[in-house]
Amino acid sequence: MIAQPVSTFTGPEIDWYALSPLLVLVAAAVALLVAGALTPPWPKGGYAIVTVGAATASAVLAIIQWQNISDDGPSTLVAGAVSFDLSAMFFTITICVAVALVALLTDDFLRRQALDGPEFYALYLVAAAGGIVMASANDLIVLFLGVETLSLALYVLAAADRRRSKSQESGLKYFVLGSFSSAFLLYGIALVYGATGSTNITRVVVYLQESVPLERFDALLLTGVALMMVGLAFKIAAAPFHVWTPDVYEGAPSPVSAFMASAGKVAAFGALVRVLIVALPFYREDWQPVVWVLALVSLVVGSVLAVVQTNVKRLLAYSSINHVGFVLVGIESAAHRAGAVDSGPGVPSVGVYLLAYTVMVIGSFGVVAIASRSGDDATSLDSFRGFATRRPVLAVAFTVFLLAQAGVPFTSGFIAKFGVVQAAVEERSYAIALIAMLTSVVAAFLYLRIIVTMWMSEPDDASVELAGAGTSNSWTGTLSIGLAAGFTVAVGIVPGWLLDAADDLTQFAR
Amino acid sequence: MGQYLPIIVLAVLAALFGVMTLAASHLLAPRRPSDAKEAPYECGIVPSREPPERFPVNFYIVAMLFIMFDIEIIFLYPYAIGRENLGVYGFVAIMIFSVLFFLTFVYEVARGGLDWGPVHRSRDLSADADIVSPERTSASTVRHVGLDGRPAGEEAA
Repeated sequence: MIAQPVSTFTGPEIDWYALSPLLVLVAAAVALLVAGALTPPWPKGGYAIVTVGAATASAVLAIIQWQNISDDGPSTLVAGAVSFDLSAMFFTITICVAVALVALLTDDFLRRQALDGPEFYALYLVAAAGGIVMASANDLIVLFLGVETLSLALYVLAAADRRRSKSQESGLKYFVLGSFSSAFLLYGIALVYGATGSTNITRVVVYLQESVPLERFDALLLTGVALMMVGLAFKIAAAPFHVWTPDVYEGAPSPVSAFMASAGKVAAFGALVRVLIVALPFYREDWQPVVWVLALVSLVVGSVLAVVQTNVKRLLAYSSINHVGFVLVGIESAAHRAGAVDSGPGVPSVGVYLLAYTVMVIGSFGVVAIASRSGDDATSLDSFRGFATRRPVLAVAFTVFLLAQAGVPFTSGFIAKFGVVQAAVEERSYAIALIAMLTSVVAAFLYLRIIVTMWMSEPDDASVELAGAGTSNSWTGTLSIGLAAGFTVAVGIVPGWLLDAADDLTQFAR
Repeated sequence: MGQYLPIIVLAVLAALFGVMTLAASHLLAPRRPSDAKEAPYECGIVPSREPPERFPVNFYIVAMLFIMFDIEIIFLYPYAIGRENLGVYGFVAIMIFSVLFFLTFVYEVARGGLDWGPVHRSRDLSADADIVSPERTSASTVRHVGLDGRPAGEEAA
């Protein structure tokens, strides 16, 4: 006779309403997948509209939660596993914006490729849910679950263009390198657990606060921090962990590249903020120099190597590495006051940069997706010769996105770059602020190179041939690029509301 | 460091065993090579033809189904044993898990994961409207052999 154990387990309380932005995305993904598989192909744009609806609903719920958090202060959910604070909601909204814009682009893209189906959209939604879990995790294991959910969906998406071998190649490269970096992250989490006795960020912080420095397992913990930084630096594609980026972005379908460059990086930066600034402020003197070097190398590698590229998608990939450098400048300046009650202007500047960057990078890849026609391979710089005479409106939009990426005033890019550099100067990180501004001059050259190719060079034989069939696009692509361009200019002219909202990103749930 | 000693000893023993086995077989084994032994995937029989280059990959979808059910069982058995202690929370959690699992199963079957044999795709016939039009009957399209139904005068031809 087995003795009946006394029931000691009580499940954590689950605040379903607070989790609703996440639940909407997951439910929409599953519903889309099952309904899409059981019914004949939906009318054009049907899958994309459902996806945009789900992303919008999730963003609206996140805005409502934003109000609640502003009133009641940050807290944690599901027994301390998920943090419920303004920065989690800000990253949620940013990722939802990315999903909505990319879903519209994907509809346009899939119609040209005659590949329509619900799978793309369901994977976007699942990836977004994973990204939100990453950015709002309050437990390192939950963070890892988010990383895997996001990454697995992205591996499949990168290889989703079944007819192009380059897409398959990109998916496989991303899969092999990505799982390698996930292993680094997991090993780092394990070592931090070994050193502190918990994976929960709250308990890690409490342990580090209460223990005497001599009693800590510093070697174990610092090795763990280093390994976690390797894993996350790979996910944000910071140099020197950037080598996969150009190949993967070039091979993946253009809308998927846009999604990886936007939502993927936003989520990974959210996770980086959680791990470094929230969980490990006591070791900031150890990890801050590492962030400094990552920022420096990303800034230089991204801008200098972009200059010699001849493929627009590769060029945008390198420019995204340069942008990562800028965001890391923001993280570096946030590090100065990590752990304080008011963590200073660093994290708000990171938030603004990521939102502005998300919109303009999706717009840029969207124009490339339309310009590269049905085969998705006319992405060399030469194929953009005389683009302005073929598609003047698209060329204007592309010019706006490129100027924004260069940081020209009256665009969101200027506000974003100004924010991180200002934060760095405020915290007296003059050197990295100066380097960031210098590399943005180098980077401006490459954006101008595309603009000059579009507007000033005569079309040659090859690009005249491109002017033929297959360049048309549907209203969804136009809508997505129009919204992105509108946002880029609007934030550039009236930035106050966004800066005010981001100013509240300084308090974290602990 | 003392607690790691068994692991290090085990690693050294494993390495020694590997090296010694290789060395022993190198020194002791008689060498009588033949075609059958040199062939890749040697099993004693000389392959008579090249293996087929393309093969159906349906098996991997079945393997995926197997893994799905495997994972569900892995979670269901511990739940079944600990059900009384886990209470309502455990029940809700396992229900969410089961529903998600079932829906992915529906997806796979609906996408043809269990369809075997040659692929039958439904085809849109609107492009072939003139071929399948009701005007085309066996009388209008098939040339009859013999004199029945032939217009007069064609007999000579």
